[in-house]
Amino acid sequence: MSSLRLFTQAALARTYPRAVWMVRNRTWLIQETVLPVLSVSAFAFVYKSMQAPPEFVGFVIMGAAMTTFWMNVLWSMGAHLYWERDSGNLGLYIAAPAPLMSILAGMAMGGMTTTTVRAAAIVSAGLFIFDVPLQPTSWWLLAGTFLLTLIALYGLGMMFASLFLLWGREAWHTVNLLQEPVYLLTGMNFPLSIFPTVVSAIALLIPLSAGMDAMRQVLFRSQGVMDVGWEIALLAVLSVVFLFFARRGLNTLERRAREEGTLTVRWQ
Amino acid sequence: MNASPHLRTLKWSAWLGWQIESNWADLRLFFLYLVVKPITGSLMLVCMYYAAKSASPTRVPSEFLPYVYISNACYGLVGTVMFGMSYVIVSDRENYGMLKYVFISPARFQTYMVGRGLARGLEGLVGGGVTIIFGLFVFDPVRSAFTGGIDVLWLAVFLAIGSVMLWSCGMILGSAVLNMHRNGMFMSEGIAGVVYFLSGVVFPISMLPNWLQVVAMSLPTTYWLEGMRRSLTGMPNADSPLGKSPFTEWSNWELAGALTLSTAVLFAFSQWFYHRNLQKAWRNGKIEETTGV
Repeated sequence: MSSLRLFTQAALARTYPRAVWMVRNRTWLIQETVLPVLSVSAFAFVYKSMQAPPEFVGFVIMGAAMTTFWMNVLWSMGAHLYWERDSGNLGLYIAAPAPLMSILAGMAMGGMTTTTVRAAAIVSAGLFIFDVPLQPTSWWLLAGTFLLTLIALYGLGMMFASLFLLWGREAWHTVNLLQEPVYLLTGMNFPLSIFPTVVSAIALLIPLSAGMDAMRQVLFRSQGVMDVGWEIALLAVLSVVFLFFARRGLNTLERRAREEGTLTVRWQ
Repeated sequence: MNASPHLRTLKWSAWLGWQIESNWADLRLFFLYLVVKPITGSLMLVCMYYAAKSASPTRVPSEFLPYVYISNACYGLVGTVMFGMSYVIVSDRENYGMLKYVFISPARFQTYMVGRGLARGLEGLVGGGVTIIFGLFVFDPVRSAFTGGIDVLWLAVFLAIGSVMLWSCGMILGSAVLNMHRNGMFMSEGIAGVVYFLSGVVFPISMLPNWLQVVAMSLPTTYWLEGMRRSLTGMPNADSPLGKSPFTEWSNWELAGALTLSTAVLFAFSQWFYHRNLQKAWRNGKIEETTGV
């Protein structure tokens, strides 16, 4: 079997349980759509009560939709190998002939599928309920930026996954710690331009910030930290860098985990 | 009823919870972890406030900043306990494979969950307290809101009734997760988000449509947060948009009464829900089931 075919088959096989879960477990319909929409509404009402410009509510809705991808990257990519190790699957992945990178690619594709449904529900309900004014400069540019943001984000998730191979409970707590501080730094609910330039520049190294800032410029014609073209270029670079380091990190850390005998250590 | 097994279970489960939460890092790093999350969560609201103010300077009253900041810090306690008590089920069952052993041991199962929630509650209390102190040092509007002084007696009353409310909320979510897969742990975040919205944590509930205000007024968390805000910063000015809340005419006694009543109903429901779900989980073999997607 050629290595490309093996990679594809393994990736699709890992995608399958995540995608089929949507059909088999119906509770997700409420959990993944209605609940997030209601929680987003709290922040939309903050701006409404402060009588902020209507596009600010749009920022909140976009932030909430993109946050679902960030959560998916953290919990279902980054922390997942730690969970797989605890449930005894990691040893099987390593022993199988398929490369570990294909398992991560499958987790990413499956995660993107389910998360896209959740994000779409948030955006649709948000736009419908709050009547946010959209003035896109180009739908194609928006779609391209969104896809590039996802590639960079999931590349970062793969990198986290390899790092977390070495950790025990620290992995869980690190994932926890990468929520609120990242929401703040990426300007999830507010324009990044309120930060000093240095802080915004650092924030743009997180794909979520660069992607959201670019998409806000395209969708609401708001002022961004950088020109959209530069932000797209930055996202492309970040995608390549994260995927490269994810691959290298995975190889290095897998070898280290084998040497230190931590691949099958459970309940750390 | 013999209280001793309950107390022993509570003591050791709280100790275990604290060890699991804290001994992965040295104390300084753990403390940093404890406060970074709530402080950055509140700072996000501060940034939203300043973003709205810079876009329309005359429309945003300065009372909004202490309102959202303090409410959010207090609500952190609800979030940590709700998430903590439901995550106990997922982690003990799926990560450590220990839930079945706890279930068959002489330890009292509900008390075990409460003890684990207690450890998370302590984290939430420290995180919320440090967040408020941070706000007092850094933001003038937050500092000005405290000029009237803290009403310690009412704060103790609301914290005491609130602890029963938190216990009930945690039990409801933990019980639901008993019959769910691993993804159930995210449900508590979703529910916490809904309660965050409906309890008017970061905006006055008078902003909600009338039918949602009725829902908001049926939640004990709404009364608890109003009580906590009042004990810490006093009543809002009548001429401020925050003074148009449905609670403007209520005294602290009325507020505490409504909180007690709604908490009693919630507690009764949580007990019924717990026993029902525990039976169901036991019959369906969910106590030892491990899942993963």
